[in-house]
Amino acid sequence: MLKGSRREAMGLALVTPSFLFLLVFFIVPAALLFVCSFWLAHSFRLIPAFSFDNYSRALSASGFYVLTWNALKNGLCTAAFTVALSFPTAYFIVYRTRGNLLFYLILVSWFSSYLVRIYAWRVILGSNGLINTTLMQLGLIDHPIEVLLFSPFATILTLIHIMLPFGLLLLVSALRDVRREYIEAARDLGASPFEVLTRVMLPMCYKGIIGAFMFTFVISAGDFVTPQLLGGREGMTTGILIANQFRSSGNWPFGAAMAFLLLAAFLLVYFVFVRLLHLLRLAPGRRFHD
Amino acid sequence: MVDTPHGRPFGSPNIFRNDVLSRRGFLGTSLALGAGATLGSWPGPMPAQAAVGGDLKIMAWEGFTLDNELKGWREANNVQVDAAIISTQDDVHAKLIGGSPVRLDLAEYSQGFEHFYVDELKIVKPLDIAKVPNFTPENIQPEFYNAPTWYWNDTHYAIPWVWGLNALVYNPEMTQPIKSYKDLLAPELKGKLTFCDDTIATWPMIARIAGLGPKFPNLTKDEMKTAFEGLGPYRDQCRVFGSSNGDVISLFSSKEIAACFCVWSGTPVETAKRGVKTIYAVPEEGAVMWCDAWFMPISAQNMDTGYAFMNEAISAKVQAEVCKAVTGGAVNKHAPELMDAHTRALFDYSDLQQVFKKSPLQGQPPRTSDVYATYDEWTQAWTDFKSSF
Repeated sequence: MLKGSRREAMGLALVTPSFLFLLVFFIVPAALLFVCSFWLAHSFRLIPAFSFDNYSRALSASGFYVLTWNALKNGLCTAAFTVALSFPTAYFIVYRTRGNLLFYLILVSWFSSYLVRIYAWRVILGSNGLINTTLMQLGLIDHPIEVLLFSPFATILTLIHIMLPFGLLLLVSALRDVRREYIEAARDLGASPFEVLTRVMLPMCYKGIIGAFMFTFVISAGDFVTPQLLGGREGMTTGILIANQFRSSGNWPFGAAMAFLLLAAFLLVYFVFVRLLHLLRLAPGRRFHD
Repeated sequence: MVDTPHGRPFGSPNIFRNDVLSRRGFLGTSLALGAGATLGSWPGPMPAQAAVGGDLKIMAWEGFTLDNELKGWREANNVQVDAAIISTQDDVHAKLIGGSPVRLDLAEYSQGFEHFYVDELKIVKPLDIAKVPNFTPENIQPEFYNAPTWYWNDTHYAIPWVWGLNALVYNPEMTQPIKSYKDLLAPELKGKLTFCDDTIATWPMIARIAGLGPKFPNLTKDEMKTAFEGLGPYRDQCRVFGSSNGDVISLFSSKEIAACFCVWSGTPVETAKRGVKTIYAVPEEGAVMWCDAWFMPISAQNMDTGYAFMNEAISAKVQAEVCKAVTGGAVNKHAPELMDAHTRALFDYSDLQQVFKKSPLQGQPPRTSDVYATYDEWTQAWTDFKSSF
């Protein structure tokens, strides 16, 4: 009994610092921002009220839908490709390599700054960049391929590059919970490689997949710097609208309302994705190996 | 009259009475952040400053903090300047509005912010111009001395000190010489034009191209709509929008663009450093003038040193040096003779009236108005324009 309560106290002591940190620096500010989203603003001054004006204003603006759709497209494409590319790599690292050298090599890209990576892609994809110059020197093209840069392709490619290590980290961690014995047992029982993947591995590491997908989705969909610098005329996303309200216009309530609408869109994607995994029988809702 | 925080509408709001709160005030009422903000902005005990010296907290644009130009003055007067950098003008008022403004002894505002800062936000201290002896009609160009951007109701609110033009910049290797904005619609510039995301620099030119230039910044909503509709063909020439002056320089350097609609006149100097020649041109439609001014925020404490700093900033020698460093124009009449030939040739100091006529110093749209398109509406229209709606 005493041992149990000591263990509880120890658990509480371990959790409390991070809980307090999140409470003070995330939950309380987010709650205040949510309250603020119902207020009004005038020339950088907040006017306490309870009004849905900000939400109705955002929802009645066609631009909000277009830019939100741009953001969601960036997020969905980046997340899908990141998970699809990370999974085989994670499999290779977990089941086919003895050390973590490959893993660390991929994580090395974190040592360069986010903006440096964006500008590096500009150099690679530009009209006079590495790809176009090489193709022209090889005589494969006469003129630079302009669609490479300042397009959704450039945005998504760069975001995948930025997000891949995050996705990989989560998937390696998830796959390490799927012990070799389960895979070997499935094979011994006659399962094909596809069945091993879809009936053993994916259901057992689906939480890692959801984590990797949502983590990369939320960061990519919320990003507005990469789309602005690489996305060209179609590169605008909701983040720009929100930033404008918080900085140029000084209308925090309107910016907060748009931020919470975007959050609602993110939650919707989360529930749809989880539901989809259930429908495909890839998310059993319990851990098979417990 | 010296304004105080207690005299402004920000102090001690009561949300149950539906009072008006500033952003800082709002945060100040929150449980955790309020404590942090209060502690963070608490100036602590500080003796009254009676002479030049001590620490001076300023906020200025990058390159405009006079680090090199006032090195000798700082050492001679034992002044330690603590400079914060402005990335957008909003950074300045974000620090000053609310019940506990952050201490700043001096800061800069661009033209167009004067009434917003003085009359609406009430974050500017009126200046005692006698403490800035270099600011006299004998020293300062008449177009800048006592201009309504910094002086009204017999009160000086700021000291203008560096100006310049935002104009068209192009790469002569990639296009014919551009003499009019209409030249930007040439087929060979398809995909090679860009706009810089600098609203105050670009909006006046948008109005001017639509023939509404003299009316800016007071355009009706319909006029604003007309102005942006006229800009459609220019947008169709763009593949990308430059997110900042630096981004435009980067785009020129990588030869992704051949021309920028309206950007900082110092752009050719920066692209030349990267081996790409560009030309700054004032087309027949003119350019957009900017001018930065030092003002004393309500939270200023080391005021004597602040006055001395401003006085030095507009001295002829410092003006000549800083204009070379930032590719800007001097307000001091005697500065051009101390400049090198290149810096002096940037602007026609012998006929500033003509410069002002072709490229007037214009403000920004009103924050609130029932008649004219407001700043928010311009911001929205600009966002829509960039998003190709």
